[in-house]
Amino acid sequence: MTDTNYQEPGYADVNRDILQTLLVTGPKYWITFGISASVALICFFGPWAYQLYVGVGAAGMNRSAMWGTYLSNFIFWIGLSHSGTLLSAVLHITHSGWRKAIYRSAEAMTLFSLMTAACFVMVHVGRLWFVHWTAPIPNPMELWPNFRSPLMFDVMAVTTYLTASSIFIYMGSVPDYAAVRDASTGLRRRLYTIFSFGWRGTAKEWHTLSWAYMFFAVFVIPLAVSVHSIVSWDFALSIVPGLHQTIFAPYFVCGAIYSGTAGIVSVMFLLRKYMQLERYIREIHLDNLGKLLIVLSLIWTYINIVEVFTGWYSGTSFEYEFLKFRLFGFYAPLYWEMILFCAVVPLFMLHKKIRTSWKWMFIISILINIGMFTERFIIVATSLPRKFLPDAFGFYFPSFVEIMISIGSFAIFTTLFLIFIKWTPCVSIYEVKETLKPLRRDA
Amino acid sequence: MAKSILGIFQYEEDFLNAAKSLKASGFNDITLMSPIRLEEAEEIVGLYKSNVRYFSLTGAITGAITGFSLAVVCALVFILPTGGRAIIAFPPFLVITYEVTILFGVLATLLGFHFVSGLPAWRDKAYKVDTNIDRFSIAVDPGSDTDSTKIEQTLRDAGAEEVKQLEVAA
Repeated sequence: MTDTNYQEPGYADVNRDILQTLLVTGPKYWITFGISASVALICFFGPWAYQLYVGVGAAGMNRSAMWGTYLSNFIFWIGLSHSGTLLSAVLHITHSGWRKAIYRSAEAMTLFSLMTAACFVMVHVGRLWFVHWTAPIPNPMELWPNFRSPLMFDVMAVTTYLTASSIFIYMGSVPDYAAVRDASTGLRRRLYTIFSFGWRGTAKEWHTLSWAYMFFAVFVIPLAVSVHSIVSWDFALSIVPGLHQTIFAPYFVCGAIYSGTAGIVSVMFLLRKYMQLERYIREIHLDNLGKLLIVLSLIWTYINIVEVFTGWYSGTSFEYEFLKFRLFGFYAPLYWEMILFCAVVPLFMLHKKIRTSWKWMFIISILINIGMFTERFIIVATSLPRKFLPDAFGFYFPSFVEIMISIGSFAIFTTLFLIFIKWTPCVSIYEVKETLKPLRRDA
Repeated sequence: MAKSILGIFQYEEDFLNAAKSLKASGFNDITLMSPIRLEEAEEIVGLYKSNVRYFSLTGAITGAITGFSLAVVCALVFILPTGGRAIIAFPPFLVITYEVTILFGVLATLLGFHFVSGLPAWRDKAYKVDTNIDRFSIAVDPGSDTDSTKIEQTLRDAGAEEVKQLEVAA
């Protein structure tokens, strides 16, 4: 449907159309869910169980490359989480109306990306059965946390972000849970009565929710920026060439918002197509997201140029060596693929026809995220094996177990998202109504 | 059980006019319900700045103190000298302080929401499902039969589609 023949839905239409995404489940959904859950089981949990049995040596990490795809995946999924809550919060406090139809799914993306990222922490630690030793803090198990380490910053930041994002999406959904309650019967009705806290839509409830939601948004914005800055410090606070960069924090934050926004476009395309939400997820959303992607792409490109320039301009041999390896070494094809997908391809969005075409935007958004995944891999795989002197040089190539677990993580995310869309309206019912003509005699 | 009168309206202006009339007639205990947030309705029932903000502020300040204390206590309980750096190091500890400030701020805001809104409230209350779709409603607890008649008349005069009496939890 194009916007030229767009007919605005009524309030009752909004309830009916959006609630049908929860209440009506066809065979397509179950087939997709079955495939996704099976892939998660076979590709993620199967190889992970194998790794737990034989030890973390099943992964391709070695003495000089002690971080591999598990860390790349962790950064990728944390990054993907960034656009949802952050974009939603920024657009909320700036009163951007176009946010209202897309923010719920974007926030869900945040939540499930964070959960997927957290899985990689568990995979990476190796001996999972000792993880409980790290709690509580202060620690009685002789594992004393060093709060001067960026890894501890990371624990605090990601935990806070997961908690805040969960609360942010839940609180924004309370009025919609009441709508589900009112439209259902039996056990589902009883469950949603609990979820909705007995919401009736009184002036006091709306007033309190809007104030609380504003505070959540205000808390979440600096939090989201800090989370990916802190993730970047896991690398930048080391002295490894290629990682020890002051620009890493803005680089990571920009990259995170960039891949997250591309992720939103992909998710919107699928929701619109398979959940029959054409009346709500419209070209205006695509156009605005496209413009945002162009800006982010340009900033991302600029930071990449700066990174290469400062490395070259430093004139130090180890920076030269690292740059030579990244730009022309074994992983050079991946580097140039990343530049192609994240710096060149997005320029096509300057053309409005591309920017407002769902098919093209879906393809571009997927390419951007392939590029961003590659970026995270390159950061890890081309820096740690090229440290200072040749005797510290090494090589990293992901093992079969690592590749399978990486593939499986996408299935985990998809499975969680598919569960979400059957529990929570994936488009905010009450906020979409706020964008429609008011129920007035003169409207 | 107590009695409550519920008036259902199709149009926003009728609903707001009815609420104003009831307030002008001295009925202060009225509940206005709508499918979306209406700032005008909030003004009629006298809601301006929410007390949630005090919860957020208190939570954030408590979080800042807790976060910094956590890092300091851990550093002092197990002294870990590294490269001549300070045991109580402000720059890294401020990062922890910042994160815990936000964590406690968010949790306190959540607590504030529940405390101020009175939710969860699962007891039977005056409510019609249509209010969450495309109707507006006003619930009034009448003190006496005379009041009931007056309230029903006010609601009908303002253009209520439907006026009914309900038994609700006291």
